[in-house]
Amino acid sequence: MAAPLPCYHCGLPVPAGSHFQARVLGETRALCCPGCQAVAEAIVAGGLESYYQHRSDTSVNPGALPRALTEELELYDRPDVQQPFVAHEGELARTALHIEGISCAACGWLIERHLKALPAVEDASLNLSNHRLQVRWDDARLPLSELLAQIRRIGYAAHPYQPDEAAARMARENRRAVRQLGVAGLLWMQVMMASMATWPEFNLDLSPGMDRILRWVSLFLTTPIVFYCCTDFFKGALRDLRTRHLTMDVSVSLAIGGAYVAGIWSTVTARGELYFDAVGMFALFLLAGRYLERRARERTAAATAQLVNLLPASCLRLDASGDSERVLLAELKPGDRVLVPPGALIPADGRILEGLSSVDESVLTGEYLPLPKGPGDTVTGGTLNVEGPLTLAVEALGDESRLSAIVRLLERAQADKPRLAELADRVAQWFLVVVLVAAVVVGLVWWQLDAGRAFWIVLALLVATCPCALSLATPTALTTATGSLHRLGLLVTRGHVLEGLNHIDTVVFDKTGTLTEGRLTLREIRPLGGELSADACLALAAALENRSEHPIARAFGRAPEAAEHVENVPGFGLEGRVSQRQLRIGQPAFVASLADRESPPTPNEPGQWLLLGDREGPLAWFVLDDQVREDAPALLEVCRRQGWSTVLLSGDSSPMVAEVGRQLGIGRVAGGLTPADKLAELARLQQAGKRVLMVGDGVNDVPVLAAADISVAMGSATDLAKTSADAVLLSNRLESLAQAFVMARRSRRIIVENLVWASLYNGLVLPFAAVGWVTPMWAALGMSASSLLVVLNALRLART
Amino acid sequence: MAALYVMIPIAVIIVALAIWLFFWAVDSGQYDDLEGPAHSILFDDEDPRHQAGIDEAERSTDGDDERKT
Repeated sequence: MAAPLPCYHCGLPVPAGSHFQARVLGETRALCCPGCQAVAEAIVAGGLESYYQHRSDTSVNPGALPRALTEELELYDRPDVQQPFVAHEGELARTALHIEGISCAACGWLIERHLKALPAVEDASLNLSNHRLQVRWDDARLPLSELLAQIRRIGYAAHPYQPDEAAARMARENRRAVRQLGVAGLLWMQVMMASMATWPEFNLDLSPGMDRILRWVSLFLTTPIVFYCCTDFFKGALRDLRTRHLTMDVSVSLAIGGAYVAGIWSTVTARGELYFDAVGMFALFLLAGRYLERRARERTAAATAQLVNLLPASCLRLDASGDSERVLLAELKPGDRVLVPPGALIPADGRILEGLSSVDESVLTGEYLPLPKGPGDTVTGGTLNVEGPLTLAVEALGDESRLSAIVRLLERAQADKPRLAELADRVAQWFLVVVLVAAVVVGLVWWQLDAGRAFWIVLALLVATCPCALSLATPTALTTATGSLHRLGLLVTRGHVLEGLNHIDTVVFDKTGTLTEGRLTLREIRPLGGELSADACLALAAALENRSEHPIARAFGRAPEAAEHVENVPGFGLEGRVSQRQLRIGQPAFVASLADRESPPTPNEPGQWLLLGDREGPLAWFVLDDQVREDAPALLEVCRRQGWSTVLLSGDSSPMVAEVGRQLGIGRVAGGLTPADKLAELARLQQAGKRVLMVGDGVNDVPVLAAADISVAMGSATDLAKTSADAVLLSNRLESLAQAFVMARRSRRIIVENLVWASLYNGLVLPFAAVGWVTPMWAALGMSASSLLVVLNALRLART
Repeated sequence: MAALYVMIPIAVIIVALAIWLFFWAVDSGQYDDLEGPAHSILFDDEDPRHQAGIDEAERSTDGDDERKT
């Protein structure tokens, strides 16, 4: 079979026999699904088809975007809901939206142009670094929900973005950091010109008056650098001294403060060396390093904000007469009756009053098969209703619900998280102690030899050994490595991950959704001796399941033709007609009853067994199960080679757990665990002195993710799991995790190299400074060369 | 050397101006997005006003050519 054609819009393979297509750029293009077709047509209709010429990456499949019902979006039109994020300026409303689905720069152009073409929109501008869209529009002519729907029409999802306190502070600090950096840069260059003129190396033959003026000018220009740009270093040093820690901030402050105070002295007395340019250079290098680090952090923060869906949770409440009304979850009270359509999340803990369906509880329990539920059964908020509509009586909300019990467990777990000491801070401590001891010894020796020079020698020593390269060593390496990992699909959200990965000795996996795909896939078709081949049976089954939203249906793939008169019998299966043939698929008894026969015995093997049959009798068995991810064996192999012990902790109590463990060769396997059991299991490992990496995805993994030394959540995980983990595997490929281990080792090597080089430079320069050979020029040269070397070395991590 | 007595104060004033200008640029959000503007220039070709400008320029050069021949 030839390789399937990629969809022109999203790049996914086009299923055989697909008739979805659109005319783009003068040619008819094959598309994979109705979603892509609608988006491509909307883009062409808007006259924006040159988007396809300019994009550097395929677009995101509209089916992969979070779904939102029109009536859910309409909630945004309620003034009380939109009040926190929509501001009004005269006739125009202004809001910030968070856009999902941006794959390249052309997307920004497409969104801006599409919105600006709407008559009610006054202005739209997208920030490509944080995917935030600022819109000003006339909301009397175009309600917010319609604006969101317009963005969705061209293939992106938009959520109102509510800048929380943390984000607003980050934006403020970001601008302050840019200002400090700019001021340091501008003033340093001026200071350099003024103070370099006084250096004897340039031999300018200044008149004493001119020398005095230049000293005063450089003092005047250096003062803002010290008091405006370097405040954070001094504050940090003060904080660390109070908690009795010697950190990098302390040595930085000492070098800057010392050089500045000595500079004042030499300006007033018009004698001695001037180190103002060293202050400026030191400040600029450090601020630039911290600014780059901040930008990397901000990008992660933006990507994390994207992980949390901001749609206010809503549900359909039934009133006394049985009419449904969409209300916010916050307005729901215990005792209310709620209608949950198939495919929707169950809003609260409750008891089923009416309806038959199955409920997917995998996020809570790790069970991979939906459980059948009927009247009288209890259901849990946050789980997914799969088949038929359910009417619930709400029993518990907020703090009393089962989900919030897990969140409480999470808070406890977070407090117990072990802290890993950072290498750079340990080095900084030693460094500071050595420099201070050396300064005191050298000072005392010179005091005996030549009391007049002692002060200047000690000062030169402090400036020459200032830890510029040392303090750039770690942040530059970590920033570059984090960027490379982001490109590989691993988003690192907490700082200790890269260093910590090198200390791991145990890896704990979750099963459903982590080591396995987390969705049902077709494993086998067994025709029952009829005239039909396996492929023909599959075509019939796919036609029957074509319209269904059930996770089982998705396992059959997209069929080119759909069955007619399809009827869903929740808990039993589907019935419908395919080319004049009455068919049933589902529970064996239900299918066999169509032909008035006894159902054949279900084979005694794990998996979900479905029977397909017509009026003549059963046709074929279909076996569905949750399959192990393709790249899981490779990851386990990497773990084994590292000599790590592997553990599988699953909430699923089915024999699948042991089967997956055996298949992948996992050391210890435990199934049927509650979230609290998992946490206890982890605590036992940690008490035995193990350093644990946890990989998981469900809500039931959340406490363990929070407590593990390092945790990674899958990109398809629940919001709660993603926000409580230290890193998110956006690509969902376990392979990226194996690459992250390599990257962690490489970045540790680079950090060590950097630290060794920086210490070596400082160690070498110390004796020269001690005998009084280091002038401001040599200090400046050495400092910039060693810093440059460290930064270039760190940049090697950008190559993947 | 005497010129320096004038030049140095001027230099200081220019630096002050540059810093003021820089603060203004930061506050008006010009440093908030460091990626988007680098790409947006590529899409200028799609701007109808730019297209109209090119058409007009071509028409006027065509006109010049005709007059010459």
